[in-house]
Amino acid sequence: MSEFFNQYFDFHVMGEHFWEVLEAFLQNLVIFAVAAALALIWGLALALLRQLPGKKLLPIRFITVAYIDLFRAIPILIIILLISGGVPFLSFIPQSIRIPHWFGKPDPFWYGVAALVIVYGAFTAEVYRAGIEAVPGGQMEAARSLGMSHWQAMRHVIVPQALTLIPAPMLNEMISLLKDTTLISVIAFSEAVLVSREVLSERLNSSAMILTAFFFVVIILPLARVVDRLIARNQGKIARGSHIEVA
Amino acid sequence: MRQTRLTALLAVLLLALASVAAVGCGGGSDTTGTSGGGGVAEGGGGGEPLTVGSDIPYPPFEQGKPGEYTGFDVELMEAIGEKIGRTPEFQDTSFETIFRDVGQGKFDAAMSAATITEEREKAVDFSNPYYLSEQAVLVKEGSPIKSLKELEGKTVAAQQGTTGLELAKEELGGSEIRPYPEGPDAINALKAGTVEGVVIDAPVAQHAVEEGGGIEIVEKVATEEDYGIAVAQGETELLEEINKGLEEVEQDGTYAKIFEKWFHAPPPKAVFSATHEAE
Repeated sequence: MSEFFNQYFDFHVMGEHFWEVLEAFLQNLVIFAVAAALALIWGLALALLRQLPGKKLLPIRFITVAYIDLFRAIPILIIILLISGGVPFLSFIPQSIRIPHWFGKPDPFWYGVAALVIVYGAFTAEVYRAGIEAVPGGQMEAARSLGMSHWQAMRHVIVPQALTLIPAPMLNEMISLLKDTTLISVIAFSEAVLVSREVLSERLNSSAMILTAFFFVVIILPLARVVDRLIARNQGKIARGSHIEVA
Repeated sequence: MRQTRLTALLAVLLLALASVAAVGCGGGSDTTGTSGGGGVAEGGGGGEPLTVGSDIPYPPFEQGKPGEYTGFDVELMEAIGEKIGRTPEFQDTSFETIFRDVGQGKFDAAMSAATITEEREKAVDFSNPYYLSEQAVLVKEGSPIKSLKELEGKTVAAQQGTTGLELAKEELGGSEIRPYPEGPDAINALKAGTVEGVVIDAPVAQHAVEEGGGIEIVEKVATEEDYGIAVAQGETELLEEINKGLEEVEQDGTYAKIFEKWFHAPPPKAVFSATHEAE
């Protein structure tokens, strides 16, 4: 039993590598910040494209739906490996884009962000869609009958209401995204999991990995609680028969 | 409702904790494990199976698919197995945990082009050296970089947990050093152009150059490192058997034959007299 604690909870090992792991964990947070911002925008764009009305725009809706279906299905790890393993060889792309070193971040960082945005764009698009479709149909009809174009109606009437419905499920997606930043370890980017593995092979001890897990729990648990309370509040309102809003 | 949910959650947690404790206290000797790519007998001298952990692929030392593993390490271990009456079963495992795993009995032995180092000796005992190695620096053909020092300030790849990674970290303080989980990943990164150099075992580098892909070795760093077969500390009987088997294989010419096959050159005399005292 003491072997268990030595292997996983050796506080000396944790102490000696504390700042190293924390610094690497900050990298996870940076990946998350960049990928989340981009995914939220990209997802909204996808959701709006999906809503474009009319027969003429059917091809756009079709492609958008196909994109969303495809990238909700393919594991992110595969996407990361496909990008990092293949893109550098596509010589028709200029080197500065093919092997990006933007803002001082190396190419594995950007391959990872790209993969996360591609996939989480699809997931967030579905959350936006659920919000948009939950807005009563009468809203769109009323807006159009007041003379607004489809675009004006979306921008001023539908989307603002939809945005009040999505915080809980969107926060779930963001939590998932934060955890998935660890996948970039496989293309040798020094985030927390990679550094913990280095400590593991150096010290033959897994305590740094537990430390990493601890950092994630500290950040995510409060967020998860917020989600729970938002959902409970909305359910309470449904039960009382009132409109769902987030104050 | 809340009460039953809480009780259920506690019950699950307790069950998980209890099973972990059982595993922790039960020793953990698991030579018939279903770990890695499955243990498959690879020929040898009949008799008791000998589970051998190895990070596959790492050509030309170990490569191939489960059941059809091949390479210098694999064939040498099979030859040793014949001498000592054991059938080696190679199992694929991650290199960065291999010494800890052998130390804890997950495998009987580890043979993975592994250098004998003091650090590793804290967890395992090594056999006499079976291969004398050094590190090599790989770059893309036509690169202006011609030595290890010239990689200072550049992006360099190596494999996690290897002596090559250590060398890179020691010598290149100002470079971005990328540790890949597998050796071939580091080499692929070089071919893709995302890194400018790779520091890796010389024979592996040589093999990679022969395979093509536009890379070349620009420097060999004589680190005087010896590869050994690792067993758990205290397994003196097994270690003696392996050393004896290795000696017999070296003396009757089998070693030279296997060496020629994989390295296209006769083995250096020094390896036959190389010994190592397990600490």
